[in-house]
Amino acid sequence: MKTVIVVHGGAWSIPDALAESSVAGVKAAARAGDAVLRTGRSAIDAVETAVRCLEDDPTFDAGHGSVLNISGEVELDSIIMDGETLAAGAVASVRNIANPVSLARAVMEKTDHVMLTDRGASMFAEHIGTPVAHDLVTELERKEWEHSKSYPDGVKKFFNTQWGHDTVGAVALDSSGNVACATSTGGIRNKMVGRVGDSPIIGSGGYADNRSGAVSCTGHGESILKVTLARLILFHVEQGKSAVGAAEASLQYMSQRVKGCGGAVLLSSTGDWTASFTTPRMAWASVKEDILHYGLNPKEHFTEMLK
Amino acid sequence: MLPVVVVHGGAGHIPKERTEESTIGVKEAARTGYAILQRGGSAVDAVVEAVALMETNPRFNAGRGSVLNIKGEVEMDALVMDGRTLDSGAVSAVRRIANPVQLARLVMEKTKHLCLTAEGASKFARSMGVPEVPEESLITDYAKMRWKKNLEPDANPVECQMGKMGTVGAVAVDMDGNIACATSTGGMINKMEGRVGDTPCVGCGGYADNKIGAVSPTGHGEAIMKVTLSRLVLFHMEQGKTPEEASDLALAYMKERVDGLGGVVVVDHNGTWAARFSSLQMSWAAAQQGKLHFGLFHGDHFTEPVEEHT
Repeated sequence: MKTVIVVHGGAWSIPDALAESSVAGVKAAARAGDAVLRTGRSAIDAVETAVRCLEDDPTFDAGHGSVLNISGEVELDSIIMDGETLAAGAVASVRNIANPVSLARAVMEKTDHVMLTDRGASMFAEHIGTPVAHDLVTELERKEWEHSKSYPDGVKKFFNTQWGHDTVGAVALDSSGNVACATSTGGIRNKMVGRVGDSPIIGSGGYADNRSGAVSCTGHGESILKVTLARLILFHVEQGKSAVGAAEASLQYMSQRVKGCGGAVLLSSTGDWTASFTTPRMAWASVKEDILHYGLNPKEHFTEMLK
Repeated sequence: MLPVVVVHGGAGHIPKERTEESTIGVKEAARTGYAILQRGGSAVDAVVEAVALMETNPRFNAGRGSVLNIKGEVEMDALVMDGRTLDSGAVSAVRRIANPVQLARLVMEKTKHLCLTAEGASKFARSMGVPEVPEESLITDYAKMRWKKNLEPDANPVECQMGKMGTVGAVAVDMDGNIACATSTGGMINKMEGRVGDTPCVGCGGYADNKIGAVSPTGHGEAIMKVTLSRLVLFHMEQGKTPEEASDLALAYMKERVDGLGGVVVVDHNGTWAARFSSLQMSWAAAQQGKLHFGLFHGDHFTEPVEEHT
C-alpha cells in the first residue's frame, strides 16, 4: 500500500523573515517521516520522527524555540495517537525536555494512562531516563518575550501579527494501512503558568482512527478546544466528505461559532489528504508517491520530485 | 420540559454498604440544581452547584473523598462547559482545593484559557482568593484504606477495579434553553502522580452545545478519552438519535473498540434526558417537571416528588 505523510509547522502570521526557514523545516520533517515509512515502519514511528525534527528546529514553537509563559518559562504540551488501537499518550505543561512527543509516546506505551502533566510528567521522564534539556530557550525568543510583555492581549496579537509562532504536527499512513498523528507545542506567548491548550487534548490537538483518518491541528488552542477540531474534522470524513471538504467545513464552523482561526493537516485512511488553514499563513509539506508537496500562503501548492 | 437537571455519582461497582448513601447524594445534588433552575438560575449555575455538592460529599470520588494517587495524595480534575458560547474551564491534577469545579468555572470566566494544570492551577486559585485547604481534609479513611489495599503486592486485580470508575457530573437545560455540563473527579485509584484522565478534556469529560445538548460521562477515563465519548454521543444526536439511542451507541462502541465500560448522563435541547451505562451500576438522578427520577442498577427508574415531605 502507498504511504503518505503530511506535516505542518503552525498556522499564524509567519513573518517574511521566517518564511524560508519554516518551509525548509517542514520539507525536511516530511522527508524524514517519509524515510521511516519507506522502510516499512509504522505510521506512529513516522509521525514521531517528523515531529521530533520540528521540535529540534528552533524556527518552530515546540521543544527548542518554544515561546515562553508569563513567568518566562518553557512549558510544553504534546500528543501522539495510534489509529489502529486508539491508544494515545500526552504530556501537558512539561518542562526541561527537548522532545515532548517522545515522552508522550512513552506515556502511551509504558503507562496505563493517556496523559501526564507538570511535575508528574517530569518525574516520569526522569524515571524512564529522558535526558534533561537546559537549552530550550533561544535568544530570539527571549528578546521577543521581553518585547511582548508590553502587549496586554497576547492572544489577539498572536495570530495576526509577527509575534510568536505556533504548534507543529504530523499525520501519516503506513504500508499496513495504519494512521497516526502527533502534535507538539510551546503554547501561546505569555500564557499563564500551567495553561494547557488544545495540543495534548485528544480530539482537539489531534486524533487518529484507522476507520476514518488522522488529524493534527494548529492555531488558537482555546478555539480548537471549544469545537474539538480534530474530532469534528474526522466526523465529517465519516459522513463522507472529502479531506478538503471536511477540513474546510470544520475550520469555517470554528470561525463562525467561536471566532477562532487555525489550521489542520488531515489524512484520510484512504490516503486523501489536505493542509487547510484560515490564518494568513501555515507552513506545511507532504510526501505521497515520490512527490513532495509544500506551501505557505493560501492556495499555494508547490511540488518537487523526491530525491 | 424545561428546566431539567440530570446528575450522576459515578459508574462501576458501588459496594453494597455505600449504595444507599450514593443514591441519597445524587438525589440531593439533583434537587439542589433544580432549585437553582426554578429560581431562574442558569444551566451553568445549576451544574456547578450540583457537582460542588457532590465534591463536598465524602461518599463520592471528587473533592473530599477523592481516591488517592500512588503516593497517597489527592489530585483532582474538573470541567465546566457553557453550551451557549462553547466556553469551558478546566483544572487538572490540582491539589488542596475543596471544590475544583468552582475553580474550573473561574478559569472559564476569569482567564483567556480553558485549562490550567497542577501548580499553575494552584497559583491561579490563590490569585482569585480561593482558599487552599489542608490535603488531610480531603482524605477520607475509606480512600486511605483502598489506597493501602491496592499497594499490597498480592492485591486482587479484580477487586482493584472496584470503584475505579468514580466521577461525578451534571447536565442541565435552564428556563431560557441554555445548556451546560460539569464533571469532577479524584481520578483513578493509585494513579501515577500527574495523571490526567478524561474529566478536564473538552469532548471527553464533558461537552455542551445549545444546538444539540450536553453530556457528562463517568467510567474508565482512558477509554472515554480514546473515543472522545461526550463528543461522540452528541455527534450521534446531531445525526438525529435520541439521547438514549446516542448514549447506547457510543457506549457500545467504547466497549467494542477499546473494551471500556462507563456511563453518561445526557440531555438534549428539548430537555429530553437519559442516564445510561455499560458498567454494573451508575448512581444517577434527574429532576424535571416537579418529579425526581433516580436509579442505580440497570432497569431502575424510581420516582418521587422533587419537593420532599420529610
